[in-house]
Amino acid sequence: MAAATLKRKREVEQSVSKERDQTPEISDTGSQGEDDEKPEDEEWNGVNASEPLDVDEELPRGGKHAKVPTGVEVREMKEAAGLFRSSSFKLQIDAILPNVRPKDKHRLPLETFLLSLHTLLMNIPSTSPAQPLDATRPLLKKGVSVPYATPLPTEDSNWKVAFEAPSNIILAGSWNTKTSVKPPLGGQYGIDVAVVMPDSLFQEKDYLNGRFFHKRAFYLATLSAALSSKIDDLKVDLAYHSQMDNPRLTKLVLTPRPGSFKLNVEISIIPVLSTTSPLLLQRLAPSECSVRSAGDDARKPTPMYNTALLTALSPPSHLLSVHKWQQEAAAFTDALTLLRVWANQRGFCEGSRMQVRGFEGKGPWWSTLLGLLVTGEETVGKPKRKPLGRGLSSYQFFKAALDFLATFDFGKERIFLKTGTGHNYPPSEYAETHDAVFVDASSRINLLADVPLGSLDFLKCEAKKTLSVLESASSSFDPFAETFLHDKHALCTRFDAIVRVDLSTAALHDIDKHSIIDHASPHNALLASISRRLRQGLGDRTKAVTLLHPTSSRRPLSQALPSNSHIFYIGLVYDTETAFRQVDHGPDAKDPESAAKEAFQELWGDKAELRMFKDGKIQQSVVWDVKTADEKSHIPIQIVKYLLDIHFGITDGRSWHSSFDTLIRMPEPISKMYAETKQLVGFKGATTAFDNLVKAIKALPEDELPLSILNFVPCSSALRYTSAMAPVPRLAALPANASYVQTIPLIVQFEKSAKWPDDLKAIRVVKMAFFERIASSLMNAIPGLTAAIAIRGEDDNDPTMEVLTPEGWAFAIHIWHDRELTLLNRIIVGDEAQHIKRPGEKKPTKGAEYHDAVAEKEVYLRRFIHGPRHHRAVTKLHHAFPAFSGTTRLVKRWFAAHWLLDGHVSEEAIELLCAHVFAYPQWESDHDANPEAFAASASQVGSKERGFAMVIEFLQSWKWDEGLLVALYDAGSAADGESTEGVGSGQGVWALKTEMDPTGRVWTNKGPDSIVARRIQALARATWGHLGTVETESESILPIFTHPNGDYHFLVELNPSVLPRYHQNVHADLALLSQRHKKFSNLQNTPADEVEVRIGFDPARLFFKDLQRIYANTFRIFWDPLGGDTFGAVWDPTLREPRSFKVLGGFSSAPCPVEAQKGKGKDSKSKDLVVLNEAAVLSEIRRLGQGLVKDVVPQKK
Amino acid sequence: MPSPALISGFTPLPFSISPGVVHYVYARAHEAPKKAKQSQQWPAGRTLFLVNVPPDATEREITEIFKSCGTIERVSFDSDAPPVEEPDSSDEEEEEEIEETAVDGEEPQRKRRRKDKTKAPRPPQLIPLPSPAIRKLRRTSQSAHVIFLDDSSLPRALVPSSKPRAWPAGDEEPSGLAHYTSLYTSLRPPLDAVRTHADSFMELFEFEQAKLKQKSRYKKGEAVVDEDGFTLVTRGGAYGQAVGGGVTVASKRFQSRGETRSMGRNRKKDTKEKANFYAFQKAEKQRSDLMKLRRDWESTKEQVEKLKASRKFKPY
Repeated sequence: MAAATLKRKREVEQSVSKERDQTPEISDTGSQGEDDEKPEDEEWNGVNASEPLDVDEELPRGGKHAKVPTGVEVREMKEAAGLFRSSSFKLQIDAILPNVRPKDKHRLPLETFLLSLHTLLMNIPSTSPAQPLDATRPLLKKGVSVPYATPLPTEDSNWKVAFEAPSNIILAGSWNTKTSVKPPLGGQYGIDVAVVMPDSLFQEKDYLNGRFFHKRAFYLATLSAALSSKIDDLKVDLAYHSQMDNPRLTKLVLTPRPGSFKLNVEISIIPVLSTTSPLLLQRLAPSECSVRSAGDDARKPTPMYNTALLTALSPPSHLLSVHKWQQEAAAFTDALTLLRVWANQRGFCEGSRMQVRGFEGKGPWWSTLLGLLVTGEETVGKPKRKPLGRGLSSYQFFKAALDFLATFDFGKERIFLKTGTGHNYPPSEYAETHDAVFVDASSRINLLADVPLGSLDFLKCEAKKTLSVLESASSSFDPFAETFLHDKHALCTRFDAIVRVDLSTAALHDIDKHSIIDHASPHNALLASISRRLRQGLGDRTKAVTLLHPTSSRRPLSQALPSNSHIFYIGLVYDTETAFRQVDHGPDAKDPESAAKEAFQELWGDKAELRMFKDGKIQQSVVWDVKTADEKSHIPIQIVKYLLDIHFGITDGRSWHSSFDTLIRMPEPISKMYAETKQLVGFKGATTAFDNLVKAIKALPEDELPLSILNFVPCSSALRYTSAMAPVPRLAALPANASYVQTIPLIVQFEKSAKWPDDLKAIRVVKMAFFERIASSLMNAIPGLTAAIAIRGEDDNDPTMEVLTPEGWAFAIHIWHDRELTLLNRIIVGDEAQHIKRPGEKKPTKGAEYHDAVAEKEVYLRRFIHGPRHHRAVTKLHHAFPAFSGTTRLVKRWFAAHWLLDGHVSEEAIELLCAHVFAYPQWESDHDANPEAFAASASQVGSKERGFAMVIEFLQSWKWDEGLLVALYDAGSAADGESTEGVGSGQGVWALKTEMDPTGRVWTNKGPDSIVARRIQALARATWGHLGTVETESESILPIFTHPNGDYHFLVELNPSVLPRYHQNVHADLALLSQRHKKFSNLQNTPADEVEVRIGFDPARLFFKDLQRIYANTFRIFWDPLGGDTFGAVWDPTLREPRSFKVLGGFSSAPCPVEAQKGKGKDSKSKDLVVLNEAAVLSEIRRLGQGLVKDVVPQKK
Repeated sequence: MPSPALISGFTPLPFSISPGVVHYVYARAHEAPKKAKQSQQWPAGRTLFLVNVPPDATEREITEIFKSCGTIERVSFDSDAPPVEEPDSSDEEEEEEIEETAVDGEEPQRKRRRKDKTKAPRPPQLIPLPSPAIRKLRRTSQSAHVIFLDDSSLPRALVPSSKPRAWPAGDEEPSGLAHYTSLYTSLRPPLDAVRTHADSFMELFEFEQAKLKQKSRYKKGEAVVDEDGFTLVTRGGAYGQAVGGGVTVASKRFQSRGETRSMGRNRKKDTKEKANFYAFQKAEKQRSDLMKLRRDWESTKEQVEKLKASRKFKPY
């Protein structure tokens, strides 16, 4: 091919001169011509040699695409870019739509089936009127019970039920309007068959006392009985199903037996009323009472009853409205499909998993929602929302719908769709009787009557979130997939807290009888009441309180009433500003209005008390007592449990959130000892200690300091609220295996001086001299303070000063001198004066000095340039996102527990990963501009548990080879190129890019490498799977933090009694912690406080680092730096095969036994084969870790 | 376990480090590379080359082992010498390279400097920091050279032994937990020791600086001229003066890349040409815009098709 093209090109060049006067038209039309014409075709391009690039790009695409697009095509392309988010978005929408709709070819067999069903239904014989209870008997004999709802008919009911063939049968719902959307996993397309009951069956007063529902129930039962004798002909199974477990909304469901249709469908038979029925519909206004008992004159309104009755009228009228909207707006169907896919992905639908309460069978509502956008609403005066243009694209409609959901306040505002004929019922009545109001185009039915406001609040949150995704310009995720493709069902990433509730023990004393009658079942009345109470009690603490439960199930025909599942979940979305306040203020004591006071007392019970506040006000209030900061973050859960208990007698509300707290807390015996000292511990203590130290050093007399101090820069996770374990001071009384004193690194910068020597080694010595001066004068100034100078660090030669304050806080101070970088660069680049690089000049050989300098420069940049910058940004993130700190600590704990922290993944890398879940571009300016609005924004994560789940979810699906852009710094704050050059030469594969670090390797240079990265992904997947089961089965979360060590080739078991950090172990053995110094009692009987204090001394870590370095090419080693007592290691698999001997083999080898080599055949140098000497390496490890290692255990696989 | 007598010319010497566990050290007489001049560091004939020495071995331990073969002049670990650039695949060459770099790879100038220093008048004494005996843990499978005093010791050391000898346990340097604690302490010397060390170091440093200044060929402001008579042009220092001579005109760009900016003139020429001036330019632009539109469209389409093929568009 290539040769041919080359040849042709040459021809072209030759022919250019000859055929210059050829007209370009030939080439344009000649694209479909024969081969012979090809040269001419390209010859035209040859003339335009001034833009050869363009030509080259077009050629490979072939003749077809090389043509200028036609007008129609241009319009299509421009539209895609203009009316949709982008042309790729449009194409993706086009791609998804056919996948979520029934295919036309599958429709035909169903049509014939429906036709036969139609004739069958029309020919069911009538039954004569009978007393309602008597009428059930013949049906019961056929195994069909009549789904009468409360209030049940009695023996002395003086009206009769009967059956007559339907007056009409309508194919209703989405199937008819072709707006069906594939339901989520395992669901079926629904086909609604509305069977119109003849008017002759009803009387005017049938709307009262459930008579209509009884007649409807009998009608349905008769239909069922008639069909049940034909099920084998029809090849279907029959079942009752009640929408939302409301027995008044029972329908008959026909499920085709497997194999009868290609398409997974179910057919619902719904008896409906005709518009000409004699029922007095005007008496069904929301505030009317339709269920009256003899002795009751109060006539409380029955809004739910009335709505349920009016629903029987809706299918035909709804069908007409949808058809009208489809005619008016071309993109209506597509937009509806998108909207429903979006909703289905988020649990606003029916399905087998946890679903948001209230969205079952809400198909009509979704279409009416879009209808509202098309036609507008019925208002007096000027409408607030103008109807949208008809020519909008599906995406624009979809976005408008989300916008409506995100901004509309269902709790306060009401929607009445435009009808043309005005309101049927007075709109003001809805306000008193319904929670959320969305009245359909027939102006009769409130489509949201049975949807709790909490669910709509949650819908609002989700809509806001999706809108911000669609509007964000960030390239770190795919907005299309985020909106439509990803499964967003998981509760743990969407709710800040989840409480699991078992209803079976609930007492119903809070629910009056009337409400049960109105809701048709105690269960529904209870859930409605719970939802309302919680929303009231939590108030502005939460953005949404949502009930979640599995969808109502089908039931056999023999079962009259639906059975309810007892387990449901309460999901809370916190408003981080207010969620954790400790006091709830009620009405003023002097307030003359007693109703508010009573309501407050009624809500809170004994907890409500009169309190006087600082400003002199005496108010009813509720105070939540908390002992620790951990408890404070669980106040909302505490409130939920309290309310459930006092109002509904539910005591076993379970949430697994508090069990996360123990993971980042010290074990009981240790924390008790700290509590006894009454010292300030934790991040607050560390920050105070830092401030004090800075003050003390700055207060030193001028002449005792060599140069005056410019500033102190903190640079530690302990001072930015992100270290897995809260920092604590040294406590002499602690047992040896809890005696670890964490050092907090600081950086000090002196004023500039020309007196610094111009030599790296000398600079270090000067630093030491400085330290010596500061240390001696500090020790003089503050009694009890000790300071020491570490002449070099673990992995570099920079000296540090270690200070132990009298309170027991330890700091390690570095001096930042910017000349060092220049000197290092000089070594790396070479002396400028000697080496002006000439092009083509051979590079000078790089000696040890060069490699040392490169390594030191990397440490320098990380420590002095990136470290402080990162510290500042993360601290700011902590202040902006309250849950960030907790999340990071949990995630660090997770990484540590899986033996990856420190050794393979740096702390900063984890902070960046967590920041990715929280931060978005411009978060900093958003936060500065308006902190309150920022806290209320939908993207705020309210709890560390949710943050943790989000990070895990991200990790399990992250394609790490694509890198990640973290919006930690504001855009535009560009990095200086020098600070990042040279990094990224390590084996790390994660690219965590920030504005300051375009390479993304500053914190991931050393790891994780691709093997470890894959392992992290596998661990994250397992964890994610477990999180999913925790929410439904309420298991322990500890398995998430338990590392499976079966995969390691050998384990190095350490002696827990000599590990100074053992108390931080996830599974620390408390018995080992309490025995103090027992191990040493026979050696030396020194009292605890005379034992030499070694700040930041962790022999296990040093040993681990040594093994990692010594055996870098022999095995890969893993360990939990937070008190881990076992190393796990995996041999390099290639070393276990015999290989030929090399001087610099890089591993400890043994000659291969002769016999073993014989089998290998006559290889070239078969007698020189060596193999990894595993036993020798293991025994070396044992020797290197004398006193530290308990045992080295090889594991057999 | 019967093992071959020689492996690539190396004699495997078995050592038992713990009961039943044998560690192999490979030994060979040191061969000086052919091309390099006679090595001063490792005299041929009496230098033993060891491979796969345990990572925590000390000079004392190795001396202990080969003491029986003859008097040992010196033991040196290769990883302490400047490392080799990139080891080649062939083992022969590898070894040669080690030696090569060690031989003619510039011995740190420091050494030479120190030699000068001895001749200079009264150099100040450097007081070192206290350094207790600490094991140095090197990377596994390191190599070492043992230099005997006498040529006759070498063959004795290379006698293969069938029974593993015991590795001498050096008690001088602690190992394990004790190693880490003493390492920790040795890294944090007493404050007065730090002070005296720092003071003496600075004294020495200043002495040497002063000497260097004296010796420097170039004075400030003097041009550097090479043998061919060319004047070296360098960049100026912080205050526009080149320290140590040179003529100060070169730009930073020239300094780092060795090329001057040649783009300037050409770029001006480019801007002169007007776009969108002639009708044909406009038409062509329009056409290429449309083509670009189409190309983008086609490429996104292709992408989406690719996604479609990977069943990406099934939401559930």
